[in-house]
Amino acid sequence: MRIFRSLTDGIGFDLVLVGAAMAFLLAMAGLPLVYNVLMSFQQVDMFTLGSLVRPWAGLDNYRAVIAQPEFWLVMKNTGLFVVGSIAGQFTLGFALALFFHQKFPGSATIRGLFLVSWVMPGLVVGGIWSFILAGDYGVLNALLQGAGVIHAPVFWKSDPNLSIWAVIIANIWLGLAFNMLLLSVGLAAIPRDIYEAAELDGATAWARFRTITLPMMRSTIGAVLSLGLIGTLQQFDLFPAITEGGPANTSNVSQYWAWQMSFKLYDFARGATISVMMLVLVLVAAVVYVRSTRSEVRG
Amino acid sequence: MNMVKRPWAWFGFALFFAAIYLFPLYWMYVTSLKSQSEIFASPPTFWPNAPDFGAYPYVWFQRHMPAYLWNSLVIASGVTALTVFFGTGCAYVLARYRSLWVDIGLFTILMLQVLPASVMVTPLFVAFNQLGLLNLPRTAVILGASAKAMPFFVVLTRAAFMSVPRELEEAALVDGNSRLGAFVSIVLPLVRNGVLVCAILTFMTAFGEYIYSKSIIQDADLQPASVGLQAFLGPNSKDWNSIMAYSAIYVTPILAIFVLLQRRIVSGLTSGALK
Repeated sequence: MRIFRSLTDGIGFDLVLVGAAMAFLLAMAGLPLVYNVLMSFQQVDMFTLGSLVRPWAGLDNYRAVIAQPEFWLVMKNTGLFVVGSIAGQFTLGFALALFFHQKFPGSATIRGLFLVSWVMPGLVVGGIWSFILAGDYGVLNALLQGAGVIHAPVFWKSDPNLSIWAVIIANIWLGLAFNMLLLSVGLAAIPRDIYEAAELDGATAWARFRTITLPMMRSTIGAVLSLGLIGTLQQFDLFPAITEGGPANTSNVSQYWAWQMSFKLYDFARGATISVMMLVLVLVAAVVYVRSTRSEVRG
Repeated sequence: MNMVKRPWAWFGFALFFAAIYLFPLYWMYVTSLKSQSEIFASPPTFWPNAPDFGAYPYVWFQRHMPAYLWNSLVIASGVTALTVFFGTGCAYVLARYRSLWVDIGLFTILMLQVLPASVMVTPLFVAFNQLGLLNLPRTAVILGASAKAMPFFVVLTRAAFMSVPRELEEAALVDGNSRLGAFVSIVLPLVRNGVLVCAILTFMTAFGEYIYSKSIIQDADLQPASVGLQAFLGPNSKDWNSIMAYSAIYVTPILAIFVLLQRRIVSGLTSGALK
């Protein structure tokens, strides 16, 4: 009876609410995570797929993955994808955030329209960009040729040197709005009178940006960059829609490669191994993210 | 500084930027109305010569869209229901206290938020296979995708709960309400709108879910619209007007909800996204 009362009217009530959510999360995210690490040290094939106890493989899976001929290409592409996407999303997003920070009629509404990209299914976005970036009949090539930037059509998706950039362009479009929104929140938190004081002292716009905006935005920028890294490593849907990692893996990245290992080649051990390697990278980003929001976490 | 005095010039620039940014959406709709030959015209036409809605009924019936959309609806509803059911109470408790344990809980949730779905899908698939859950593939996807959606939901909803003054709840407790009673009759009604916006965001994200469904659901009758779209989308796609008509049918409901609720969604995101 006392236990029941505690559940509706005491600390037990809080524990039940948090506990239920935590139990669900641990079962559906925590355990799979541990299981993933376990599988990366096991031999997994069609015969042992159904059993928990499998032959121990030690570091064999890791050696095998690194020995794959495409390993370094995929790692290079992953790095390029992350750096290129974040650089594009962040600079364009920051520029737009600064632009919309000026008060003018309709600024909030128009800024909100940008966020439609964020609620679109990734596969649809990938499909649209795949068509825009097409070599022979794509509208981007037509516009660039019309403007005189290029003279022959660029084969974004099938040129081995450019295919990763086709996905990066689409990913910049997809992530730009969210970057802009978060940076706008940071900008809005800076007291206006600091700017007014600086302006009275004769500081130029650039000086105000460099000495007020950037330092005041440090924790926001840290959070946005680490969220960008996390989001970019989570980006998956654009790959099947635009290039499928091709041609010849020149646009393949680790998250798509891991999936291909498991679900195209049915080599779940290698899929798990690549996932564990990625995880290390993601956790580094997560620590940076949590540190940069720690001051705000307690609200 | 001259520009500040001319807000309408800024307004014009803003419209111009938005037009560039939203061009891909425009291009989706325009392409869906073009004929098969006009798609490949060079240079492309920016308005169809003879707008033709024929691709819409074609993909609707030939591509079995009603079944796909129904499955998307089932999955998105399931994910939203599970996420709201488990996430709301958790967000409430995490907003109510300030202690080391709350920090640890938040840290755990943030850590689970960063896991890429492509990393989680391999162990989930193998584990679901062992548990026999692959026989209920949509349920399996709902379980996996809910865990993926919940951390974000908790973080956003927690911000909504933080805006409720503690005094209101304390007054209810003094009046003889139990904790459960105060939660249900005082706190929940106050955050209803915030929770609703977060639920809608969860729903929209789950409506476009792809990777779990693609990996776990083998039966074509149970697959969602994202997997149905992928079936005729790839590096060598050709029937672009069908793809764009399919995409338009798929995303227009989401876009309509977004535009209608834009103000609420943006404010819900800005209050919670960085916390």
